[in-house]
Amino acid sequence: MRIVVENLNVDFEQRFQLNNINWTIEDQHHWVITGTNGAGKSALAAALAGAGDRLSGQILGLPERIGVVSFEAQEELIDKERKKDDADIMDVISEGTPVRDIIFSDCLDPDTAQQLVTLFGLDYLLARAFRKLSTGESRKVMIIRALSCKPQLLLLDEPFDGLDATTMGMLQNHLERLVERIPIIMVCNRFDEIPDFVTHIAYMQAGELTMQVERQDQDAYDNLYQLLHLKTTDLTIPKAEAETAIAKLPANQPLVKLTDLTIKYDEFKLIDQLNWTIQPNQHWQLSGPNGSGKTAILSIITGDHPQCYTNDILVFGFQRGNGESIWQIKQFIGYVSTALQWEYRVQISLRNVIISGFHDSIGLYTKATDRQKQIADQWLALLGMNDRADAPFQKLSFGDQRLLLIARAMVKHPPLLILDEPCLGLDDMNRQLVLALIEKICASSETSVIYVNHHAEDKIIGIEHFLSLEKNQT
Amino acid sequence: MANYFNTLPLREQLEQLAKCRFMHLDEFTEGVEALKGKKMVVIGCGAQGLNQGLNLRDSGLDVSYALREAAITEKRQSWKNATENGFTVGTYEQLIPSADVVLNLTPDKQHTAVVNAVMPMMKLGACLSYSHGFNIVEEGMQVRDDLTVIMVAPKCPGSEVRAEYVRGFGVPTLIAVHEDNDPQGEGLALAKAYAVGTGGHKAGVLMSSFIAEVKSDLMGEQTILCGMLQTGSLLCFDKMIEEGVEAGYASKLIQFGWETVTEALKYGGVTNMLDRLSNPAKIKAYDLSEELKVIMRPLYNKHQDDIMNGTFSRVMMEDWANDDVNLLGWRAETAETAFEKTPAGDVEISEQEYFDHGILMVAMVKAGVELAFETMTAAGIIADSAYYESLHETPLIANTIARKKLYEMNATISDTAEYGCYLYNHACLPLLAGFMRDIKTDVIGRGLELDDTGVDNARLIEVNTALRAHPVEAIGSELRGYMADMKKIV
Repeated sequence: MRIVVENLNVDFEQRFQLNNINWTIEDQHHWVITGTNGAGKSALAAALAGAGDRLSGQILGLPERIGVVSFEAQEELIDKERKKDDADIMDVISEGTPVRDIIFSDCLDPDTAQQLVTLFGLDYLLARAFRKLSTGESRKVMIIRALSCKPQLLLLDEPFDGLDATTMGMLQNHLERLVERIPIIMVCNRFDEIPDFVTHIAYMQAGELTMQVERQDQDAYDNLYQLLHLKTTDLTIPKAEAETAIAKLPANQPLVKLTDLTIKYDEFKLIDQLNWTIQPNQHWQLSGPNGSGKTAILSIITGDHPQCYTNDILVFGFQRGNGESIWQIKQFIGYVSTALQWEYRVQISLRNVIISGFHDSIGLYTKATDRQKQIADQWLALLGMNDRADAPFQKLSFGDQRLLLIARAMVKHPPLLILDEPCLGLDDMNRQLVLALIEKICASSETSVIYVNHHAEDKIIGIEHFLSLEKNQT
Repeated sequence: MANYFNTLPLREQLEQLAKCRFMHLDEFTEGVEALKGKKMVVIGCGAQGLNQGLNLRDSGLDVSYALREAAITEKRQSWKNATENGFTVGTYEQLIPSADVVLNLTPDKQHTAVVNAVMPMMKLGACLSYSHGFNIVEEGMQVRDDLTVIMVAPKCPGSEVRAEYVRGFGVPTLIAVHEDNDPQGEGLALAKAYAVGTGGHKAGVLMSSFIAEVKSDLMGEQTILCGMLQTGSLLCFDKMIEEGVEAGYASKLIQFGWETVTEALKYGGVTNMLDRLSNPAKIKAYDLSEELKVIMRPLYNKHQDDIMNGTFSRVMMEDWANDDVNLLGWRAETAETAFEKTPAGDVEISEQEYFDHGILMVAMVKAGVELAFETMTAAGIIADSAYYESLHETPLIANTIARKKLYEMNATISDTAEYGCYLYNHACLPLLAGFMRDIKTDVIGRGLELDDTGVDNARLIEVNTALRAHPVEAIGSELRGYMADMKKIV
């Protein structure tokens, strides 16, 4: 098999364009596409899968069955499930499609699918509704679907993101066994995640394929690595607005105190009698495998989980369930997660996304003050987006959206900042930027950070408390 | 029980029908204070019941759910919905006697039974809340003198009520106080606090009356919203098949066409919907709609008259008493129509093509919206209510058809709306038979296909002026203006 891309120009709904791509994928070659956020890595992979409007050029030799894993495909499927949810018009609560059907209906290779289900330990999830899965679990389902369609080509856009270390290892092993037969093209933001079987690296910049490097070529490889490691200098965080500043909390009172926290669905206990106290100025790292309840605990703290009313929870001086509103709680919290990013589907400018952080809203429904606009612009400058203040949020790349949401979370300088896998989907350079930003935040004495992460190497200087969850499968 | 509306003198009927006022944000500065610390007990845990309860609790209010004993012991879905979300659940006997506010969020048909069951248990001076006034206005439910009766009706499906709240916003909401049952004069304060608790005040609240809500809601849903779209779907589909348009294409054009053209309606009224057409197509649509309005006006008048004098509700309740024989029979008939049985084809239809090939559909929407609006306002309903119950809600039903076609659309709207929809459809199909004979695929299915798209200036000006001068456009642009102010402050 040999795939040849010639003078390809592709338009993606006029928000992004791939220009003049010339690229040959020889038999037995396996590629990684890399580059900064917004450079067009995912776009190039998506173009091979048939996305976008082809303006000119051609792709020759593309096989019929292509296995695709990407955030976009995952989001599309989740979105499809959301649309199928008839709860709104039927006046009933709908369950959605079970994982079993998502994997096995229309599956060309059910044996492989079953094998992977077992390998990934998903058997106990088969009956659950797909849209109720955690981010990591639904990602595993997407991977199984791609690998069990008898693919002749695999397009894997950040396949390891959102997976815990064990699963990632198993997936790498599985891919290693496929490379003899199937060419693999991966989009990979992290150099340290590039698997051994990869033979070539493509570097994207502003919609163009600017470099193609053979892995054997050590010098070229090192240069590329360095390029991706370029860091912005001089990080300073804009101050909060004095008029809307959050009331100071007493220094001797814990920010959060969970007593015997138990979260259960029917008879299944996701969390069983967890005790956790977060004192002011403590920074915590929360870790655990997919499905161990990390996000559930966080949403108990933020008030988004309904079982916060049935547990003994003290947050920012409020004993939950005594007539406080969730907005009184949320004013003390800054929050960033992949789920938030998916929920943030309103038409809004970059500046207003940041300003919405003053109100803890998705979208902006209150008039902004001049001072708030000023602060938002300072954050945009910090992120290198000041020339795009009025551009629509939805047209940003995934990574840029994430950076913006971190700014939104920090804009009011909350006593507690919750970062639920903040590096998910970010390239190396932006990951470094985000981590540096978080370190700054940790170093300032006013905000406590809860940091959730799978990647052991994404360590944050200043985090000294650790809570590690086990998976409860009883 | 007697029809309440019919017991009132004309003077009061007119006064009640004319109630509808858009409330401003600064009227809600007291927040949820009026409900703080009070026991709110919800009856009914479907999508509205559950999601409103979640919002109210997140606003700091005390919410629990009263279910029938059987629902609890058999652990039915309603019990599961409430308990999984951490609410206190109990029987009527356990919860109603201590309730300060009872929120009746069950379907219309159950209201009499539910209210009769809970009323004797309610404590002195408590409040009974509805989300639809049919039980009070049409069935004439007599509520104990000491009880306060209010209505709070979010104008969106339950899941949206929740989703918008979580975002920090809300959905447009209608509130009303039943003046015969406001012994302590606290009805309005409670209704406002309830609207704040669900987030509705941020998106806009309409202060209406039980009567205006019922009479305009019934009229809108059975004529333009459900009836016209059902009749239009069947006629347009059959015509296209008769003229040789490919069945899959015809089915798709209709299923998704209503949604696409009414999206334009939502943003810029009838004017914008017709502005999406080419000049010759616009003039064509205008002429067709004028013709349709003349033919259908007596039918709209009849529906409004039957709603006003209580004939509609009486006949429908006879069917309730007869095990819904008519309703279920008509529902089954809908499943057997050719449109319903032909799946949408796997063909690409661009957004603009839905307009260009659906000129007749645009004409039908225009005729239906304008007729419903004109008939309602002629009957004493104020323009604001008439706008909401005609133009504003049409896209919501069109969206349901796009997702579920007619059979499911009918099964998912309230039984009351569905019953009225069939009455309309049965009368309208024969009424339009003659009109449809002259229809060809230039206005439904294929488009005008003109080489020359020139038009006469004078005629175009005439049509544009007429479109813009219709009273639904004036009130529409005013109300959409308020909503836009609240929705997007950029």
